[in-house]
Amino acid sequence: MSDKILYSYTGLFDTPDEIIHAAGKTADEGYKKFDINTPYPVHGMDDAMKLKPSRLGYFALVFGLSGTFATVLLMTWMTAFDYPIVIGGKPFFAFPAFVPIIFEVTVLAASVATVLTMLFVFFKFPNNSHPLHDTDYMKAVTSEKYGISIQAEDELFNEEKVKNFLQALGAKNITPVYFDNEELNVKHAVFEPKFISLLAVVFILVSGATYITLNKLMFITPFNWMMEQSKTIVQESNVLFADGFGMRNPVAGTVPRDQIPYKYKGDPEGAGENLANPLIPSKEVFALGEVKYNTYCSPCHGFHAEGDSRLRGQFPNPPSMHSEKVRNWSDGRLFHVITEGQNIMPAYSSQLSREERWAVVLYIRALQRSLNAKESDLQ
Amino acid sequence: MSSNTNTVEYVKKDLPASVNKIGIALLIAGLLIIVFSYFVDNTRSAFNNLILLMFLTSIGLGSLFLVAIEYLGGAVWSTPFRRVSEFLAAVLIVVPIIAIPVYLNLHSIFHWTHTDVVAADPILSGKSAYLNETFFAVRVVVFFALWLLFYFLITKNSKKQDETKDQNLTTRNIKLSAVFMPIFALTITFASIDWIMSLNPHWFSTIFGVYYFTGSLLAALAAGTFIIVMLNEKGYLIKGLKKDHYYSLGALLFAFTNFWAYIAFSQFMLIWYANLPEETVFFMDRLHGSWVYVSIGLIFIRFIIPYAGLLSQPSKMNAKNLKFFSLWILFAHFYDLYWLIMPSYSKEGFVLGWMELGFPLLAVGIIILVFSIKSKKENLIPIGDPKLQRGLDFRL
Amino acid sequence: MTTTDYRHEPSVVEGRPSLRELDEIIAKPLESKPDKKYFLALAVTLSMLGIGVIGLAFSFYYGTGLWGNNNPVGWGFPIVNFVFWVGIGHAGTLISAILFLFRQKWRNGIARFAEGMTIFAVMTAMIFPAIHVGRPWLAGYLFPYPNQHSLWVNFTSPLLWDVFAVSTYFTVSFIFWYVGLIPDFATLRDKTFSKIKKVIYSVFSLGWRGSNRHWQHYEMVYLILAGFATPLVLSVHTIVSFDFAVSILPGWHTTIFPPYFVAGAVFSGFAMVQNVLIFIRKIFNYEHIITLDTLEKMNKIILLTGSIVGYAYAMEFFTAWYSGVQPEQFTFVNRAFGPYAWAYWIMASCNVFFPQFFWIKKIRRSIPFMFVLAVLVNVGMWFERFVITVTSLSRDYLPSSWAYYTPTLTDFAILIGSFGFFFTWVLLFTKSLPVVSIAEIKAVAEGSQPSHKDH
Repeated sequence: MSDKILYSYTGLFDTPDEIIHAAGKTADEGYKKFDINTPYPVHGMDDAMKLKPSRLGYFALVFGLSGTFATVLLMTWMTAFDYPIVIGGKPFFAFPAFVPIIFEVTVLAASVATVLTMLFVFFKFPNNSHPLHDTDYMKAVTSEKYGISIQAEDELFNEEKVKNFLQALGAKNITPVYFDNEELNVKHAVFEPKFISLLAVVFILVSGATYITLNKLMFITPFNWMMEQSKTIVQESNVLFADGFGMRNPVAGTVPRDQIPYKYKGDPEGAGENLANPLIPSKEVFALGEVKYNTYCSPCHGFHAEGDSRLRGQFPNPPSMHSEKVRNWSDGRLFHVITEGQNIMPAYSSQLSREERWAVVLYIRALQRSLNAKESDLQ
Repeated sequence: MSSNTNTVEYVKKDLPASVNKIGIALLIAGLLIIVFSYFVDNTRSAFNNLILLMFLTSIGLGSLFLVAIEYLGGAVWSTPFRRVSEFLAAVLIVVPIIAIPVYLNLHSIFHWTHTDVVAADPILSGKSAYLNETFFAVRVVVFFALWLLFYFLITKNSKKQDETKDQNLTTRNIKLSAVFMPIFALTITFASIDWIMSLNPHWFSTIFGVYYFTGSLLAALAAGTFIIVMLNEKGYLIKGLKKDHYYSLGALLFAFTNFWAYIAFSQFMLIWYANLPEETVFFMDRLHGSWVYVSIGLIFIRFIIPYAGLLSQPSKMNAKNLKFFSLWILFAHFYDLYWLIMPSYSKEGFVLGWMELGFPLLAVGIIILVFSIKSKKENLIPIGDPKLQRGLDFRL
Repeated sequence: MTTTDYRHEPSVVEGRPSLRELDEIIAKPLESKPDKKYFLALAVTLSMLGIGVIGLAFSFYYGTGLWGNNNPVGWGFPIVNFVFWVGIGHAGTLISAILFLFRQKWRNGIARFAEGMTIFAVMTAMIFPAIHVGRPWLAGYLFPYPNQHSLWVNFTSPLLWDVFAVSTYFTVSFIFWYVGLIPDFATLRDKTFSKIKKVIYSVFSLGWRGSNRHWQHYEMVYLILAGFATPLVLSVHTIVSFDFAVSILPGWHTTIFPPYFVAGAVFSGFAMVQNVLIFIRKIFNYEHIITLDTLEKMNKIILLTGSIVGYAYAMEFFTAWYSGVQPEQFTFVNRAFGPYAWAYWIMASCNVFFPQFFWIKKIRRSIPFMFVLAVLVNVGMWFERFVITVTSLSRDYLPSSWAYYTPTLTDFAILIGSFGFFFTWVLLFTKSLPVVSIAEIKAVAEGSQPSHKDH
């Protein structure tokens, strides 16, 4: 027996009045490390034991305010900065509409964190290996008795004195409580390499499994029901129509928006006679003409319209545009060639808008003038 | 605990004469300013008079409600100082007198009293079955009659108990209070609709009665708390009032400050969110011009400052803190009524001058005077109340 | 005249049982094997649950087209049931938190059970928004987490507020409940002779020793939690009411909705708690702990909240007329005399008329009467949500889209299932945990607190 380490001396009382009295006396005597164990909170015990008021209220305040500010910041950032969307004509920072969530998160943060702080920081729970556990004393004080336990750690502790003191208070069942040697000798294996490596393995396994489950196994293409609609796509065939095409031709005579039908189809002379360049020569128009000419015409006609194709004879070289015949063509005639094509030259009406074609015509005129300048140009 | 009659020791002490003097001085000063201001600007004074009327109604009716709820809820902690609320409820006797100048100036306050305006406005003529001068007058008279009736019935029984110590009187008052509750709920609602909501007859809000009720309850609680703490410090109340009693008073002030914020926010948020023109007009007026500062001030004065001041447990038990914040809440209630009523008088911005000062002075004067007169005649403690000892033994 | 003695506090626990006897009475259901009646009751609730599961399975397989919801009545039974069950949950927190703050000692006998019912009711309620979104497996998107679309949730939507409110409410109620259970686990741990039970109780008691150094903080935290839970319980049904009230639909948009919904929730919650307690006190012989006085006080609260609800009905009607807004006026006339008049008058009579019988003391104290009245209250409160949701939607601003809403069999199956779900949990609870808080009831037993005569 003697190798057991004393934890405390305990005594039991039958009524709340007695225990209040005993607690007051014990505190007056100068004992610091003593405790009262009761099946329910006894009013006035905190004063009798001379306990300082609980500081948990301040913790709750701090936790609550943290929740408040975190929520305000998060919501402001999400709705006003990261992805602002107008909803219901309300401002991005719609504070009145934030209040409910701010309140909820404040309450959630404060209550959860305060309870966890109490249990794990203040009480150091879970603690099922406390020496008082599994004693007759504990069985009595969780049911119907009021117990006092003066710990051996206390500076004033003296086995005989405490025993007599408890007797003088009128305590019953005065018994010593010892530490459980088995419990004391158990070394907590928290820092053993084996335990740490076990933790590491568990960590890797769990995070790996989580990653694979969430990102690979459970990956859902998000909101794909707009992509996969049951409708006919342009290039598909469709049995619904007699010609079997999914794509339908426009009704005969349909004119695309913004386009005027070309009047001189197959009539180059008519075009040459009747069409006049609507563009007024200007820097911008020449610049446009140059860009378009260099893109669409120069591969065959050459940058200077001399018919020096860059295609290295893969196509027959076109004639030079500096010939007298072409120089004498009217603007309308040139326009017609670009629009409809000529010989093996294809039509460019689908690549170049009307305005662009006229700009190209102007640019060609400028190129022609560069080799056959008039006298007036030199002045 | 003995089963004999109460053995509470209480020696009645009269309040110092200076209290009476201060009351009379404030009353006279207030009256002088008011009479003068009625000569200078009749309409503005009438609006201020309406604030005064609603403020005193709050104090009187709220206190009567507190008395009734103590009986009904079987509360014991407030029994030792229930008389304070009973005395404050006596303000109800003065309220009809305050209402007379308002009634005389009905046309300059209430837009809907002009029959030509009502006839030209289809919405107002739709309401004219309710909003017309005759029915209005009938309602006001009925409200005052009901309030005074219950005031006299309840306080009479309470006073009688001082001598007879008859427990049946408590039972009778519990029954009276139970009957009073629904009457109270309806009268305070319709009184607030008549006197405040109909200032802008196009506007409506179903929660308005609850809003005014909450403010009134807070005002009555605050007035009571201030007087209780003052009297207890000077030793006029019974010995044995503890921190636990203070805490309960502080906690109620704190709780209803929050409740006010809840009601006010609900009203604002729903109207702001739905954005219906017939409802937003109320808040548009109060966010217009310099009124916007008054509106923002309301949030701080009525909610944030008292909230912070009464949040912690020690602050609810500290006598000094309690006194400060009960006065603060009384001021806040006056401020709230100003915010509710005055935008109807001056749309462009808030007005504050010497005229606005006379009315609060009169309010304070009336409260002090009513209290000192009542306390001269009656015991400050309900010494015959069977719950008195339990109230003194009260512990949290 | 009755001669009540007001000089002494009526004791919460009748018959002056000793503390040890209280342990025995409360722990008895946990130590005895359940009898036939218990299994019979469980069979009934499980069958109801089964019906609900079938209804849900069909709904998931075929889609929500199986429900009666139509256009314009897009919110049918699921929302009605959601609001109903969240409301039932409110009594628990009211009893455990608000009445705690008001130092109403009689609450101690019923708080644990009511809190348990809160948790089960909120669990039941949470089913409905989840299924009503149509694709419950995508409900994860309701939470603001950095998802694949880098989209955030809409924080200005009341439906999202619901997500936060209900999940916070559930968490805080659960914590409150567990914190209250810790000392009881310790008592049970030291009482039991079974090794397995001892291990279980030890784990859950976390090593509670009844130390006053702990009680001090414990009481503080209990007070703080009650302080948080009180505005929380108000906020939850307030936010549920916002679901309706922030809209512009006549009959939904009215400023009294928040306090009115809260009162209604407490009203129905108390009725439900009272109903179940009547059985519990009889079956487990708790008549001395859950006394007739306690039930009478609950009935008074039912009367009070019922009257508040009646007040709100009256205010709504008056203001609808007073507003001068035509659609408003029409909506309320339509409620009372339109195609859903039957539902309206069930609601009005059950919620406003019948509870008035509680003015009579004899009825307040008669078990059969109060049971029937409380059942009626719950019927009425269910219909209240039905009336609010359906009448306003079925006849909105656009007469061309008016339609009558008729619930389907699937709707009813899910409703029955929700009752089965709830009562299954309640039954399991009664046999696995102490349904009365042992520590709290001891604290209000006669002679359990020092008399302070020596101070």
